[in-house]
Amino acid sequence: MTDTPMHAGTTALHDLGPAPVADDARTPVLSVLGVSKRFGAVEALVECSLDLYAGEVVALVGDNAAGKSTLAKVIAGVLQPDAGYLEIDGQPVSLPGPGAARQHGIAAVFQDLGVCDNLDVTANVFLGQERTHRGLLDQGGMERVSREVLSMIGANVPSLRTPVGRLSGGQRQGVAIARTMLGEPRVVVLDEPMASLGVVQTAEVLTHLDRLRSLGMAVLVIGHNLNDLRAVADRIEVLRHGRNNGSFDGPTSRNDEIIGAITGAWRQ
Amino acid sequence: MNAVASVWELAQRNVRQSGIVVAFVVICGLFTFLNSNFLSPGNLTNLVLQYSYILILAIGMMIVIIGGHIDLSVGSLVALTGAVAAVVVIRHGQPWWVGVLAALGVGLLVGAWQGFWVAVVGIPAFIVTLAGMLMFRGLTYQVLNNVSLSPFGGTYYQINNGFLNGLLGGQGFDVFTLVVFGIGVAGYAFSQWRRRQGRIAYNQVVESLPLFVVRLVLVAAVVMAFGWQLSQSRGLPVVLVILAVLVLVYAVLTQSTVFGRHVYAIGGNLNAARLSGVRVRFVNFWIMVNMGLLAAVAGVIYSSRTNGAQPGAGNMFELDAIAACFIGGAAVSGGVGRITGAIVGGLIMAVMSNGMQLMGVPTSTQQVVKGLVLLVAVGFDVYSKRRGSATV
Repeated sequence: MTDTPMHAGTTALHDLGPAPVADDARTPVLSVLGVSKRFGAVEALVECSLDLYAGEVVALVGDNAAGKSTLAKVIAGVLQPDAGYLEIDGQPVSLPGPGAARQHGIAAVFQDLGVCDNLDVTANVFLGQERTHRGLLDQGGMERVSREVLSMIGANVPSLRTPVGRLSGGQRQGVAIARTMLGEPRVVVLDEPMASLGVVQTAEVLTHLDRLRSLGMAVLVIGHNLNDLRAVADRIEVLRHGRNNGSFDGPTSRNDEIIGAITGAWRQ
Repeated sequence: MNAVASVWELAQRNVRQSGIVVAFVVICGLFTFLNSNFLSPGNLTNLVLQYSYILILAIGMMIVIIGGHIDLSVGSLVALTGAVAAVVVIRHGQPWWVGVLAALGVGLLVGAWQGFWVAVVGIPAFIVTLAGMLMFRGLTYQVLNNVSLSPFGGTYYQINNGFLNGLLGGQGFDVFTLVVFGIGVAGYAFSQWRRRQGRIAYNQVVESLPLFVVRLVLVAAVVMAFGWQLSQSRGLPVVLVILAVLVLVYAVLTQSTVFGRHVYAIGGNLNAARLSGVRVRFVNFWIMVNMGLLAAVAGVIYSSRTNGAQPGAGNMFELDAIAACFIGGAAVSGGVGRITGAIVGGLIMAVMSNGMQLMGVPTSTQQVVKGLVLLVAVGFDVYSKRRGSATV
């Protein structure tokens, strides 16, 4: 990597191409198995389970405080479950921190917390996984890879030297999603990527999700707007009071069914 | 494909940074106009000797502030480390370097102590260092048994008061000093040229070639004029060499290392940094250790300058260092600022103090003026931010 950062970067990205589908069709890339998480007296997750397959976008929906973000943080290694565990390719793993999750190919984008406004685009894309050359930051190499990943997910930013604080909401999400593309991710978790975005910017983010799927990744996206999510999701999973409360086919299910599951009018 | 930015564009893009440099030039010009002695060889030399320790503190303080913290204990720590060196060298008759090492060791230890409370326990640095300010002042009195110790004499005294002079001869001026400055200017020009070539290679915006050359020539002229004046006085101050090395090392540390990048990230958005896998505790711990080390360096230089240790030394130094950082472009909320900014901010404070002293302005008025300058500088920052200008 020290000599040819450019080459290393592109190789890493090309390795992500559609994984061997024959096996992955049966073994999920990531399984959440009976995970529970408490915060004091509050049960955020109760024996919650979820499977994610390669080349699939799964939407996770639920009312406020249904445990969506908690589940995302457990998968990303930010929180550790009190009970239950995670499997990657059918092998149990423990994720003591975000770094460990990333080593297992899990990348996450969190709501409003993903970027540092004072740093430029490249610095944000590589934050926490900077490349170095003889002990110093490899600025040029990182800029080249940033440009590549941004174009891969179809994001458009004016300049890589722009502080992220001066970008639009959609561009910021683009940068946040581009972050996940480094280090050969296979699972990408996005917590409310469309929150407080306008119509055009939402469409921009949906394009990014579609690109991630076509790169063969397993994508878990958390959101509220069912119409937006159904435009891109293959499967919609419902959480209610921290429990699984229904799984729906993305394109064919009806909104009222899903809303019933979210509100508790319909139970699994 | 290479976009070439106009002067106006560049000035706007770095309105804060260039504003500070312009203000510095204006202040220097003003004092030159008011007092013909201001730019004299003797006074410029004196300026370097008199404020070097504030500049060294400002380097460490800038990193602390970029990380979103503050350090109120550095003044007391300057006193404590100077006192330890004095006890070792003067009372116990050890060689000068043992005293320096002892002071640096105490600085590292104190830095680790404060780093522990800030990074591991999670107490805001404001509180930890406020406690430190009291504790280290008290410890200074205990180490010195409430009395001043002097004189250091010998090599220790030369750290702040020594000069590299006469190594290459010269008639009425020191050739060695000029050679060192020449090498410095050449190095600066070379690094700027390489940076420009790099930017062109990555299709980034650069200033036009004539503008680039004019800027280099201007900087070179100012620096060489400064060197010429020094060479006519007593030659190259040792402390200026120490300061130059520190500025270079810390400019690279903050701008071109992973550690520096993470300091900016923590100050910019703590949660984003943590979720991105930045080791926040590690970085915060070493920010404080580094501040302790630099405070010890300042302590050695200050005790060398005064040729002894006093229980009350370094009082209010922390406020001078903090003011230097904010005048030099640091943001109150953290995440923004540069080492060069801290130096220019510190120089503005130094030039104002020195200039007003030469004019015989009373100390009380000096403090009022310095306070107003701090207020105006940060006010300008807030104003330009509201207009959406770049501040990084």
